[in-house]
Amino acid sequence: MISGQMMKYRGLYPFPPSFAKEFPPIAQVVEEHCIACDRCPPICFFDAIVMENRPGHKYSRTAVIINANCTGCGLCFDACPVDAIIWIPDKDGEAKPKTASPLMEDTDL
Amino acid sequence: MSLTTSFLGLTLQSPVMVASGPASHDVNQVRLAEEQHAGAVVLKTACSDKYEHMRFWPRPRYKLLDWDKQMDGRSKVFSLYSYEQGYSGTLEDYWKFIRVSKEHAKVPLIASIFADDAEDWADMAKRVEQSGADAIELDISSPHKPGSLGFETTFVAAIKAVMGAVRFPVLVKLAPSPELLHQCRVAEECGASALTLCNRLRGFDVDIETQRPILHGNFAGVGGPWAKYYTLRHVAEAALVSKIPISGTGGVMSGEDVIKYVLLGATTVQILSVIMVNGWESIARINKEIEEYMQRKGVTSLSEIRGKALQAMTHPEEIIRWSGEPKSGSRNLWKETGEQE
Ligand SMILES: Cc1cc2nc3c(=O)[nH]c(=O)nc-3n(C[C@H](O)[C@H](O)[C@H](O)COP(=O)(O)O)c2cc1C
Ligand code: SF4
Ligand code: SF4
Repeated sequence: MISGQMMKYRGLYPFPPSFAKEFPPIAQVVEEHCIACDRCPPICFFDAIVMENRPGHKYSRTAVIINANCTGCGLCFDACPVDAIIWIPDKDGEAKPKTASPLMEDTDL
Repeated sequence: MSLTTSFLGLTLQSPVMVASGPASHDVNQVRLAEEQHAGAVVLKTACSDKYEHMRFWPRPRYKLLDWDKQMDGRSKVFSLYSYEQGYSGTLEDYWKFIRVSKEHAKVPLIASIFADDAEDWADMAKRVEQSGADAIELDISSPHKPGSLGFETTFVAAIKAVMGAVRFPVLVKLAPSPELLHQCRVAEECGASALTLCNRLRGFDVDIETQRPILHGNFAGVGGPWAKYYTLRHVAEAALVSKIPISGTGGVMSGEDVIKYVLLGATTVQILSVIMVNGWESIARINKEIEEYMQRKGVTSLSEIRGKALQAMTHPEEIIRWSGEPKSGSRNLWKETGEQE
């Protein structure tokens, strides 16, 4: 029984993906799998997930991850009931913090 | 009726503070905390240059264990498993972070640092004070700190060095352990202004399918709503003996949890996981829940009920005990029938 359940949620175990030695991983929603349940946007602490309208999608909407905001933290994986979130390599991103606010840039303090 | 709390000479508009962590890593977050009427913000811990590697974080760094997908954020049984490291900028960035945050927000700021050499502790604490933070918290209890650094061997000297270097309030954050009470006493003797109890524990989990440890492959910090039961006990134990104020932290999900900490002697309470899984609005919600309780109980200030449950504690010698044996259930049946079927 345990293994059956594990199979279902296999993709939800956020082990670092195989490419993680080369590129920083970030999360991506596989839109065909998304059932538009609205669970992942609130769990993302970095405002990286939004719901978008998708005419033609089974649910007319889908979650979308904004690459620039995703810190690859892993929180959203456990919120998704259907295994729709996967890792992708952030090929032009660097492993740097993504939360630094512009307030830190334009100041003479 | 008011939530206003005096703590370390500061006037906080609420006893609920944001704990050090990913919710206090950036200026915008400090402003968010202020908008939600947090009492104060403890900034993310910055590590000394020697621990530069801890400014880089693995991906992923969190896993929500036992997360009830049906319950969403209302779940009260999850664990947040994490291998988050220190503040991700340089120390210069950190001093600037304090200065800019002070510029853009009025909420009291408590910076947090970690190092090993007493000299580094003292230097960093001085820089924090110069940067304008209202107080400093010494994070000598992170679940990720090297195991070789012990309380007696490293951190007592650190507390002393910091006390000698700065004039503003110093909080010492301790981890749950059988030695905690002793550590509280030592910290107080060294002159600490307040105790933060407790940091999270180091835990571990493995995946039985892949037969490998989860996440980054090593031990991780672990906590969740269940963690409050041992921190409540530690707060109570410490409150019974220490004269300095206590900031309770661990497992707070609601205003009721805050009230429990206060009833056991805490002056302020620090929250983090609830903000991460339920959002920033949690702060305002918890404030409101505290107010509702105060209204219902006719309490005008939390100082009226601080430590009240401590006074009601029963000494082990005075616990009323009865013989339980005759009523122990079916395992005693043979006594009555003489023989078991
Ligand atoms: C992801 C994460 C990162 C944390 N980072 C720090 C830290 O850098 N310094 C620190 O003193 N405590 C850190 N903590 C501990 C919190 O400040 C807090 O004391 C603890 O999480 C208990 O509160 P909670 O149950 O409300 O989360 C961290 C906790 C979490 C969950
Ligand atoms: S990995 Fe973390 S930052 Fe990225 S989308 Fe998921 S929750 Fe948000
Ligand atoms: S949790 Fe999964 S199914 Fe639900 S909106 Fe997000 S990606 Fe889609």
